[in-house]
Formats: sequence, structure tokens, C-alpha cells
Amino acid sequence: MRLLRTALWPVALLAGLGAFALILTSEHEQTPLMTGVLTLLVGWSFAISGLVAWSRRPANFFGALMVAAGLAWFVRAVVAADNAFAFTLGQILQYLVFGILVHLLLAYPRGALESRLARVLVVAAYLEVTIVQLVYLLFERPRAPGCSGCPPNQILLSKNPAVADGILFASRMGGIAIAALVAWIYTRRWRDATPAARRVLGPVLATGLLATALTTIWLVASSVDEDAGRYAFWATMTGLALVPLAFLAGLLRSRLALANVGQLVVSLGQTARPGELRDAIAQALGDPSVKLAYWLPESESWVRIDGRRLPSLASPDGRNVATIVERNGERVAAIVHDAFLHEDPELLDAVVAAAGLALENEQRLAALTQSEARLRAIIDALPDLMFRVSRDGTYLAVKAERTGDLVVPPDQLIGRNVRDILPREIAGPLLNCIEEALEQGAARTVEYEYELELEGFPRFFEARIVPGGEHEVVMLVRDFTERHNSELERQQLQAELRERLEELQASRARMVEAGDNERRRLERNLHDGAQQRLVSLSLSLRLAHAKLADPEAARTILDGASQELAAALEELRELARGIHPAVLTDRGLGPALETLVGRTPLPVEVETNLEERLPEQIEAAAYYVVSESLANVAKYANASSARVSISRENGAAIVEVADDGIGGADPTLGSGLRGLVDRVEALAGRLEVESVPGRGTQIRAEIPCE
Amino acid sequence: MWLTVFLVRRVAATLRYVAMSVLIVDDHPSFRATARVLLESEGFDVVGEAEDGSSALEAVAALHPQIVLLDVQLPDLDGFEVAARLAELNGAAPAVILTSSRDRADFGTLVEESGARGFVPKAELSGAALLSLLN
Repeated sequence: MRLLRTALWPVALLAGLGAFALILTSEHEQTPLMTGVLTLLVGWSFAISGLVAWSRRPANFFGALMVAAGLAWFVRAVVAADNAFAFTLGQILQYLVFGILVHLLLAYPRGALESRLARVLVVAAYLEVTIVQLVYLLFERPRAPGCSGCPPNQILLSKNPAVADGILFASRMGGIAIAALVAWIYTRRWRDATPAARRVLGPVLATGLLATALTTIWLVASSVDEDAGRYAFWATMTGLALVPLAFLAGLLRSRLALANVGQLVVSLGQTARPGELRDAIAQALGDPSVKLAYWLPESESWVRIDGRRLPSLASPDGRNVATIVERNGERVAAIVHDAFLHEDPELLDAVVAAAGLALENEQRLAALTQSEARLRAIIDALPDLMFRVSRDGTYLAVKAERTGDLVVPPDQLIGRNVRDILPREIAGPLLNCIEEALEQGAARTVEYEYELELEGFPRFFEARIVPGGEHEVVMLVRDFTERHNSELERQQLQAELRERLEELQASRARMVEAGDNERRRLERNLHDGAQQRLVSLSLSLRLAHAKLADPEAARTILDGASQELAAALEELRELARGIHPAVLTDRGLGPALETLVGRTPLPVEVETNLEERLPEQIEAAAYYVVSESLANVAKYANASSARVSISRENGAAIVEVADDGIGGADPTLGSGLRGLVDRVEALAGRLEVESVPGRGTQIRAEIPCE
Repeated sequence: MWLTVFLVRRVAATLRYVAMSVLIVDDHPSFRATARVLLESEGFDVVGEAEDGSSALEAVAALHPQIVLLDVQLPDLDGFEVAARLAELNGAAPAVILTSSRDRADFGTLVEESGARGFVPKAELSGAALLSLLN
């Protein structure tokens, strides 16, 4: 193929020269020079442009089509031949070039017909310039009108001007229609083209549009007036000659753009600000829609310069595509650009090559930006206070969510020293920790806990100090006041609980002891009292029995025995009452208290305010409170009177015993009062003793009874 | 019963020609009084009374009774302790009879170990009971 292209250069040259010579030497050509020059210009411009395009892109059929158009243009010159056969052949083939031109314009830029309409138009154009022309010549007059010197038509079948004119008219109409449709397609392409596409396709689209318009005008004009047709034809030829020139101009512009790219990128160098590189590349590519994406191998994702992730490179409609930039075999970045730029691969390659280094730099920048954003997010997520502090204790930076967590607001903190901000007893050890951290090196963390009063409350902080450079540290300070306080509360609660438990154990031990003592007392009382009397009684009876012979002695003994018996009974009664007052069980607290008061050797005023009887346990507790209190009054108080009051208030039984004695009783000393406290507390009640010396004693028991 | 008392009294009078001397040790005056009347009526010579352990020891030293009727429960030393001390008076030791309103079983082996001649419940006290323990 390459050989063919090389061979075509001399072929085109010779064909052009041949055509030029043929036209100049023609006897029937009316304007040989003008036609010859134009033929040469148009033919060569197509052939040369075509050969250039073909060699640049051998796979693209467009170049070949241009070469074909150029050659066909020279073939057309055969019509200038004076030989009748050659002339006839020229007449048959003279419009072939227009078929190729339609094909060429519609195949631009990819060299292939991409729409059904285009294919139909090309087929129609080829039919018109070959078959229709052939058929027309079959009925044409022997000599073309206005061409008296032209050789005769060699393939005339039957001279029929009516048919010939009809075919000619139809053919022109068809040509006009085809030219108009091509012009319409070109207008639409221009309208739909992106800026990048316009830059690449623009010159050809514009000249193609002009050429088709001129062709239309020529076809219309030539059917109206022969001279007008001729001039219009020259204009059309000129217009057609512009198409390959426009194509060449496009190539030239790409070359110039290449030079710009290198220059721009070099001028940007490494100091390019974010965005500048993109603008430079967009300008170099002539595509304002250019976007840059950077490859982050770590996360295997594409990101923008600001580190944000890019979901996809190419646009879904396919108008934008990505060209991947690699350096040293490593993927670096992607240039997302207009898909049309693939029509200009040299430019794209040049931009990719030139921008590689700059893109690599920006790739690093993007990676850095992203990792910095991550770091920032981590720092923001930490609830701790953060400080950067220099070796000498100067605050360099601070991060605090609440100003209240700081001794002074952040703006007043920076630049000041730890010694000026924190109390001496905290600042000193803190500076030691900073020094220690810096000496130990990066791998070590120094921890330090301190208490600081902020906003009027004591707060507890723990600082973790990590070296952040040769002469500065990063200090993370965490507030653990809550944890500290809850720990304190827990300890207090535990101590309270322990105290209550000990109290309970002591109370239980005292109650057991009191029970034991009581039993011992009862046993002793029984033994020493009633039992002894009954023993004596037994002996007396036996003695009396022995003295039956002496009635007087026996009577004396029996009298003594009778007294013993009465005393024994009285002691037993007293004892039983001491165990539990029967009247309390049978008659309730009121009568029991009256009995108690009756046995107390001083005036006692009793006031009870109970509508119904209290629960048995509470009644007993209340009774013993009064009983023990009155016993104490009688024994120790040296009082002239006492007052007892029992009431029920707010779901509790209130028992109060007050005297006007000397006071000074201590509930922690006497076992009697202590026993009362235990008894009342065992029922979840409370016993209070107020006994100021000289002001009597007031005992108040409150026992819940609901 | 009275026959027994009568016989004891006869035997005692016959064998010794004098009544046996007794010291009553008890902290209850009513018992002391009753026991004195009872024992005297049965021919014993109640030489003295003591209301606690220490005065009992003094009384023994002063009165040299042949028999000590010793209550187990006393305000200071208990009866066993007093009996043990009396047993130490070699030769001059009186015969100790422990007594109590409690049952003997309440004291376990204490009675045997005390050096006393025996134990008589207070309600069963009689001259015959004492003599039977002495023999």
C-alpha cells in the first residue's frame, strides 16, 4: 500500500501535467488556460492533500478518496481531447469526480459512511454521475450545444433532444437535491459539534459547505444560462479546491498546537497552581471541557486535584473519553476530553507526552491532598484537645471544640508559654514531660494527669505527649472528669454501703446479745426468785408435816409457807410481765401504756392519737420505747414529770417521751437506749435522742407503718 | 420418814453422843432459815450460816463444822470452787454436801470432781439424806 502511495505521487504529477497539456492543446476548449489552470490546481490540491492524509493515517479511507478525487479530476480533462472516442469517454466520466466528492465529504473525517442517509446519497451520486450520464449521452445531440468544435458523440443511440433534456433536467435536479442534502448534513454537523470537534473539523466543514453551495448554484445556473453556468462552474471548482486546502490548514494548525503544548507545559513547570495545568492542556487541545483525573494506586481510584473521588472517567453519552497518561509504565493521570480529539491523535499524544511530568507532580499533590484530608478528618473526629507545643513550652497551635475546655481562648493561647497559662504545679511537670518525650524520640508517648479548675469546676485531664518534630511535641489532652467523678461517687457509695453493713452487723450482734442477756436475766430471776421460794415452801411443808404433833409449831411453819407462796406468785407475775406485757397483746398500746404509767413513780401525761391499733411489731416497739424511756427517767433523770405522746403521721408511728430532768443522756452508752435504737431501726425506723444537760431528755421514734 | 429420822437421831446419839455440827452456805436467807429449822429438828447442830463463798471459808476456819451444806450458786465463788478449797484443808477438811435448786444432771461431772461427798437437791434436803451421803 505504501508502494502504491509512493507510486501515486508521480502518477498524480504526470496526470495533472497531461490534463493541463490536453486542455491547452484542445481545439474545442473555449477557455483553455483558465480551465487548464483550474484543473491543475483543483486536481493537484486534492491529490497532494489526499496523499499526505493517506500517509499519516493509512487506515483512514479519507486520504485515498481525496487522491481518487484528484485523479478523477484529471480524468475529466479527457473531455478536452479532440479525438472523438476520447472525448466521448471524457464526457461519460466528466462528472465522476462529483460522485467521489460527495463520497469524500460524507465520509469525512473517519473515511467511512456512518449514516444510512449518507450511504443512500453516495450511491445516488455515483449512479447519477455514471449510469444517468451514460444514458443521457445515448440520447444527446451529436455535439453539445454551444460547442461547435466538439467531436461527435460516439455512443449516440438515438438523437432525441426531448429525452436528453428531460434526463439532463432530472439529473440536475438530482444533483441539486444531493448537494442540498450534503449541505444540510454539514450544517447539522457544525451545529452539533463540540468546540474541540469544531476546531478539528471546522475548516473542512466550512469549505465543504461552501463547495456544496457553489455546486448547487452552478447546477441551477447552468440550467438557466450557459455563460452563467460556466462562471458558476469556475467558482465551484475554486470552492472545491479549497476543501483539501482547508484539510491541510487543519493539519498545520494541529502542528502549531503541538508546539504550543510543549511551550505551555514547560512554562508551567513545577510551580503550576492547581487548575493551571488543566487550563493549559484545555487550551493546547482546544477543548474547554477538558478535565484531569489523577490515579491513586493506594486506593486504586481516580481523584480530582482536591483529592475528591471521581466516580467515572468517561461521560455516559460517549462524548467525553479519557486518555490515560502513563509514566515509566505507571499509571499517572487521565485527561478526560472530547471524543473528537481522537481525530487528532498526534495532538493528543503530544499533550500526553508533554504534560506527563506536570501531571505526575499533580498526581502527588492530589494524593497528598487526599491524605491530608483524611488526617484532618481523623483529627476532627477526635474529641480531645490538641496542642502543638515547642520544647520551651510555647503554644504553636491548638484544636479545641469548646473554648470552655481551655484556660484562655485559642487566639490568646498561641505564642504564649505553658508557664504563663497553667498553674505552676501543673506547668512544671508538663514541661518535664515534654522534655522527656523529645528525648525519648518518636516512638514513645508520655502520659501526665492533672486537675484544673475551669468555669468554676474542677476538671481532670490526662495528656499524652508525642514528639512532633525535633523541637516540638503534639499534646493530646483528654478530659476524664466524668470518669473521675463517677469513680469517686462509686467509692463514696461503696464506703457508705460498707458503713451501713457494719452498722447492720453490729446492730444484729447487739440484738443477739440483748436476747442472750434477757434470757440469762430471766433464768436468774426464775432461779433466784420463784424457784427458791418454792424450794423453801417444799421444805417448810415437809417440816410442818414433821411437826404435826406440835400443832402450834406446824401452824407457824405453814403461815411462813403461805407467805412464801404469795411472794413466789407475785415474782412470777412480774417476771411474765417483763417477758411480754399481756395487756399490750390483749388490749392494745393505750391500756398497756396506762399500766406502765401506773407503775412509774412520777406523774406522766399520756397523749395518744391513734384511731386504730398499730401493727403488732410496731406496737411492741412503741411500748418498749416508752417502757425503757420511763424506766430511765425514773432511774437517772431526776425529773418531776414526764410526757408521752403517740401519734400517726404521714404513714409513720411517732413515739415521743420527754421529761424535765437533768438531761445528758447518751444513746451510744447505755445498753437500754442502744437496744431501742436497734429495735426501731430493725423496723426501718429512726430513733433520735436529744438530751442537753439541764434541759431534760426528749426521745423521738419514727417507725414507718405502711 | 419420821421413823428414819428417829433412827438416825438414835444412831447418831448412840455412836457419837453428840449432834453433828453443820455450816449452811447459801445466799438466800429464806433457804438458810428453813434448812436450819429442818436440820435442827432432825438433831443436827447448825453451828453457823454463810451467804457467800469467802465468808463460808472464814466460817469453816472459825467454826470447824463437821458438815458444810454448800449451795452451788453463790454471788462470789461458786460452790465447786469453795468445795475444792475446803478439800485442801488436809485433816481439818469438813464433809462437803453440795446442794442446789437445779438438778444434779445440770452440773455433769463437776460434783464428783469437786471433792464433795455428794449432792442433794434443795427440795429433797433432810438429815437422812445428809447422813446417807456421809456414810
